[in-house]
Amino acid sequence: MQTVFIGELKSLLNAVAEDMDVYVPGKAETHYVYNRYDPAAKAPVEFNNIRTCTPIKEFLFPLRELAAVFPEPLEPKDIKPFAVFGLKDCDLRSIEILDKVFLEEEFKDPFYVARRQKMFIISSDCFEPGESCFCNVLAGRPFAQSGFDLNVSQVKDGFIIEVGSQKGKDFIEKHSELFTDVPDAALSERDKNRIETQTQLEHNNTEFKLDSPVQEVVGDSYDSDVYDEEAKTCVECQACTRVCPTCHCFYLYDTKQEDYFAKMKMWDSCMRLAYAEVAGGANPRKVLGDRLRHRLMHKFSYFLDRYGINMCVGCGRCVDAEAGGVDIRVVLKKLNEELKGKDKAKAKVAK
Amino acid sequence: MIQNLYQPIISEIADIIDESPTIKTFVVVPEEEFKFKTGQFVELTLPGEGEAPFTPSSSPADTEKMDITIMKAGRVTGLLHDCKKGQKVGIRGPYGNGYPIEDFAGKEVYIVGGGVGLAPIRSLFLTLVDRIKDFKSVVCRYGARTPDDFIYKKTLFGPWQKIDGVNIKLTVDEANGEWKDNVGVVTAILKPDDVDINNAVAVVCGPPIMMKFTTLKLLEFGFGAESIYLSMEKNMSCGVGKCGHCMIGKYYVCKDGPVFTYDQLKDYPNIWD
Repeated sequence: MQTVFIGELKSLLNAVAEDMDVYVPGKAETHYVYNRYDPAAKAPVEFNNIRTCTPIKEFLFPLRELAAVFPEPLEPKDIKPFAVFGLKDCDLRSIEILDKVFLEEEFKDPFYVARRQKMFIISSDCFEPGESCFCNVLAGRPFAQSGFDLNVSQVKDGFIIEVGSQKGKDFIEKHSELFTDVPDAALSERDKNRIETQTQLEHNNTEFKLDSPVQEVVGDSYDSDVYDEEAKTCVECQACTRVCPTCHCFYLYDTKQEDYFAKMKMWDSCMRLAYAEVAGGANPRKVLGDRLRHRLMHKFSYFLDRYGINMCVGCGRCVDAEAGGVDIRVVLKKLNEELKGKDKAKAKVAK
Repeated sequence: MIQNLYQPIISEIADIIDESPTIKTFVVVPEEEFKFKTGQFVELTLPGEGEAPFTPSSSPADTEKMDITIMKAGRVTGLLHDCKKGQKVGIRGPYGNGYPIEDFAGKEVYIVGGGVGLAPIRSLFLTLVDRIKDFKSVVCRYGARTPDDFIYKKTLFGPWQKIDGVNIKLTVDEANGEWKDNVGVVTAILKPDDVDINNAVAVVCGPPIMMKFTTLKLLEFGFGAESIYLSMEKNMSCGVGKCGHCMIGKYYVCKDGPVFTYDQLKDYPNIWD
């Protein structure tokens, strides 16, 4: 992959901002959230060490949007190109997951398609992983490998920029005067940083490591008591699904305006009691533990079965957001222990 | 420009037929060409109010209009019942798989229905009788709460029963007035020799409790789980396997169903709830 070097982040972002709106992470207390980038601002640009607290899906699949208008049909509005800086490997993987759903051949979501085409993705390496980051447990890494237009790695003297797409290549060529060749020392520094971050992640998550692939751990855990037990403290705030970058359930509802009718599309949550209820009152997941199980099985079994990848990237946002203290890492670990117990029992019987 | 899958086709309510105290059939004429396979469903929008899934009850061969039989069960269906002839509604779809009619060829088709569950079955029934020679027979067992609750009374009580190759038996939970026929739940009128189980498929549609006990009875008779076709009712909203509301295990009822064999669903919990 082509790489170039730049001394400061600001000149890179200013160049991007010439052609489009740019969104950058900013510190909000202990977390990062996205703000519109202002090239005129004096303050230095923040380099987020980990993913933001809000999910990237907001840029592609907003919390609430107009899905249809009638009697006159709605065309997806002319979405202007926009750039988002500071996505991490987990964020890129979450986009890959959403693409499977909303870019599906047979039923493409026109609004998602429009935003996806116009999004310019500038990812960056992680360092000092957050307390809840556990991507390594799910085969993630603290640095991006694909799915970006540009990737930025911070080193002592500046930033290494990796080109990941034609869009990225065109941008670098257009602004070639901004960049220099990457010093050899910078490349080895980057590699060292990456290894250090990976090691730290592994160290942080020693207690959550799984002994079998996650799809086997979750498997068909229909008879497991873990879900009911772990759901005991859940207060149904649904925050886990709102901040999840891969959860994509939505709710369609109709509204009346003065001179037209509209169909709206809004995020929904499978943890909500009435989520699966039908008009007659039947509801297959009345019990909270059943809803927690459905959420995990969707992520680690059903999605894999349908699309060939897992639907969790280990970003840990749900762990941070949980009001009831339900920790997906703990749920997985308990299922892991349960499976180990079962395997042992089987081995004993075999003997 | 990709077609907007959330955009309904404007349609006119051309007629409204009172079927029972709680059920009406709406004859709907879409402004654009609209074709469906029997057993597929549509999302019907009452503009500004809401949307709900229904399986058309007419034959797919009628491409000019579509019958949608609706029981008053919740907010949207309540508002639909207040609709008048000439009013505009929206239609999205058709969605899902429909009944695999070709797999039924040469076999006895054993149809068991309850209540408003006769709506999708009527569409299937009309499709089957259109080419009745392709099937060994069509055997229907249908139950309603009271004689007044039967829908499609005009055809069900007369013309349909006279079609060659068709055998229909009816029952009610509670008899009244003139009713001289069976009394009891529909499973009570199912008999092991109604069809030749080795060369038959069963199609079940009705309230969840009726579907559950019918399925158990059919299994008891010796039907294979893969020969029992269930028309599942879940909270289908987007219709295209994205919004998640209708999931049963790994399946999206809207996309992989709504018709499933019992074999596909039997290992998932709470499928009847």
